[in-house]
Amino acid sequence: MKPMANIDILPMACVGLILVLAMMVLAPMIMTHTQTPVDVPRAHTAETKTEENLTITYTEDSRLFVNDVEILPEQLTDVIYQELEKDPYQLVLIRADKNVFHRDVLEILANVKKCGAKRIACATKNPKSE
Amino acid sequence: MRKRRRLRFDHHSQGLILNSLVDIALSLVIGFIVVIPLFFESGIFVNTPGVAKAGSTQVSDIKVNIYLLDDGGILLNEELVTYERLEELLPELLARSIARKVIISTEPDVRYERVIHVLDLAKQNGAGELALLRSRR
Repeated sequence: MKPMANIDILPMACVGLILVLAMMVLAPMIMTHTQTPVDVPRAHTAETKTEENLTITYTEDSRLFVNDVEILPEQLTDVIYQELEKDPYQLVLIRADKNVFHRDVLEILANVKKCGAKRIACATKNPKSE
Repeated sequence: MRKRRRLRFDHHSQGLILNSLVDIALSLVIGFIVVIPLFFESGIFVNTPGVAKAGSTQVSDIKVNIYLLDDGGILLNEELVTYERLEELLPELLARSIARKVIISTEPDVRYERVIHVLDLAKQNGAGELALLRSRR
């Protein structure tokens, strides 16, 4: 009697699972732009959303970054406008340092609104995750 | 053979005839549905003239306006309150509010962290909508 030829799918499943895990870890890093170090304020009621977004980072020393690329404050409107032209429903995430003045953040918010952003969120950190 | 057939026929015919019972039950249910409102709806029926014409948008709602001062003070609906008092008052106000809208405005030199703290507090206490006011220059 001929022995049955079976394909051993166990290693393939293992590789597949590892790939899935790697994707799960890497996807938030690729989709979000949080490389610029900023001490964001803490909030208990923050919602977690991992999606492709336009991240505006405002550091304590008043430097401005869009998707981790430093820009001048005068360029902000043009850069956001270009990005939002592709998709106005793209989430605009404002990562401002907790020590900056609120008026500066409001200025950024106003510019973002002026450019036609439909969805804006302020980045916060959950105190429990620390 | 004949006997057997008859017996089988007799066996099948045994059983309760529920059709009439179901009919009566249904009639009773319909009767109750019709009669019960007549018993419960007692009182004086009044007409409400002009209700349709009245704009539904003109409902006065409880306002929740928070103004943050540079020196750390907080004005809740133009009354100076402490952070602890704000924690107490916010749920009460929001519970009575229809829109549950919280409007936050600040003096120029207020730190962003303080605003986020107040926004967080408002959300924790059931704020439905949060708005940040910016003064025109």
